[in-house]
Amino acid sequence: MTHPSRLTSPLFIPLSMGKIGLWKAMGKIGLWMALWIGLLLWATIAASPAWAGSRLLGTGGVTQIEGAAGGGLSPWGVLAGTASEGEWAITASRSEARLDDYRLTASGVALNWQDRLEVSFARQRLGLDTLGGELQQDIHGLKLRLLGDVLYHPWGVWSLGVQHKRLDDGSLARAVGAESTQGNDIYLSGSKLLFDAVAGRNLLVNLTLRSTRANQGGLLGFGGDRESSRSLVAEGSVGLFLTPNWVVGVEYRQKPDNLDFAREDDWQDLYSAYFFNKHVSLTGAWLDLGSIAGLDQQRGGYLSLQVAF
Amino acid sequence: MSLVHRLIVIALLALLLSGCMQRPTPPTPTLYAQLGGEAGVAAIVEDFTYRLAGDDEVVVFFANSNIDRFVASLEEQICHLSDGPCVYSGPPMDRAHQHMGITDAHFNALVEHMQQTLIDQGVPPGPRNRLLGRLARLHADIMSLQ
Repeated sequence: MTHPSRLTSPLFIPLSMGKIGLWKAMGKIGLWMALWIGLLLWATIAASPAWAGSRLLGTGGVTQIEGAAGGGLSPWGVLAGTASEGEWAITASRSEARLDDYRLTASGVALNWQDRLEVSFARQRLGLDTLGGELQQDIHGLKLRLLGDVLYHPWGVWSLGVQHKRLDDGSLARAVGAESTQGNDIYLSGSKLLFDAVAGRNLLVNLTLRSTRANQGGLLGFGGDRESSRSLVAEGSVGLFLTPNWVVGVEYRQKPDNLDFAREDDWQDLYSAYFFNKHVSLTGAWLDLGSIAGLDQQRGGYLSLQVAF
Repeated sequence: MSLVHRLIVIALLALLLSGCMQRPTPPTPTLYAQLGGEAGVAAIVEDFTYRLAGDDEVVVFFANSNIDRFVASLEEQICHLSDGPCVYSGPPMDRAHQHMGITDAHFNALVEHMQQTLIDQGVPPGPRNRLLGRLARLHADIMSLQ
C-alpha cells in the first residue's frame, strides 16, 4: 500500500476530509479522542439493552493484539462481542503497550455473525523508541466456531482461526534475516468456563495451538535464516472471574525463534479486564515480552479499551 | 495392672472418645441449604418467574403454560439439582421443550435472568455459580429436540 498511512486514523477513517481547517487543527489525536469519547458516550448512555447480544457478560473476551477475540496476547475460542444465534455483534478496540524500548499500538474491529464466524481487522504499529523508526502490520482474521459453548458444553467452545499478516514496509524484516514480509497463522483455540472453581468463583481456561512462521508476531517478518518452516506453538491463559464483571488472570504465548541475529522469547502477562457492561470493557496488563530484536527484558504496561454492539 | 495404669488407660480412652466426639466432621451444607432451603428456592423461583414475565422475548413461550404448575415444577427441579430433599417428577427436559423453537439466544436470556435473580436474592458467589453450573448442563437436553 502506498497510501500515506500516517494520515489514516487508527479507525481507518480517511483524513482526506482533514483538509477542512477545523479537523486539521484537531489533529489526528484530537479526532481519534473525539471519536472514542463519542462512541463511549453512545455505548454507555444511548444504547439500550436490545443493542447487545444475548451471551453473558465477558463471554466474548476482549480484543487481543492481532484483532481476534481473546485475551491480550492470545486468541480465545470464543467469538467477539455477545452475539448468539440470530444475532450480530461488532467490536472496536484500541490497545497500547509501552515497553522499555518499544511502543506497540493496535487498533482493531471485529464482526461476529451468529456466534459462528468472526471477521476481524487489526493494524499494529510498533514504535522503535530506542532503535528508531516505526513498523506497521495489517492483520486480516477469520475465526470459525467449530463446536460447543464456553458455558454450556462439557468441552467448552472450540474455534479454528486464520490470521493473514502483512508488513507495510518489510525492509527492516529483510535486513534482519526474515524470509518474507507476509504470512498466515492458523490456530485452533478452545475456551471453557469452570463454574465455582476457585473460592466459589468461575475460572476461564483457554488453550490455543498455532502454526506460524511469524517473528515477533510478524513485526519482524516471517521465517528466517535460522528456521524457515512453520512452528507449532502453544498459548494458554487462565482467568478468574472475581465478579461477573471482573476477570483477572495470566497468559502465556510460546513463540518460534527463527532469526539468527537476535533471540526471540515467549510472551507472558498478568491481566485484569473489567466489563462495565456489554458495550464497554477496559483491560490492563503487565507484560513480559522477553528479548525483542536484541534488546532484552522488554517489560511494561498494557491498556486496551473495547466497545461492542 | 495397677490402679494407676488402669486409670491412665481409662483417661486415654476417655480422651480418645471425647476427641472423636468433639471433632465430628462438620456436615457440609447442601447447595439447597445454601440457597436458603424451601423458602429460599421459592423466593428465587418467584423472582425469576416475574423476570420471565417481563421479558417480551421469553414470555411468549409461556403463553399456554399453567404458571402455577411451572413454578411448582421449577422449585422441585432446583431442589433436586441442589441436592435438596426432592425428586424432580416433571417431564424430561428434552420433551418439555420439544419443538418450541428455543434458540441459544433465548437460553442465554434465561441464564442471565437467573444470574441476576440469584445476585438480587443475595445468594453468595459460591452457591450462585454452583447452581448456574448445574443449570448450564441442562442446555444439551433442552436444545436436543428443537
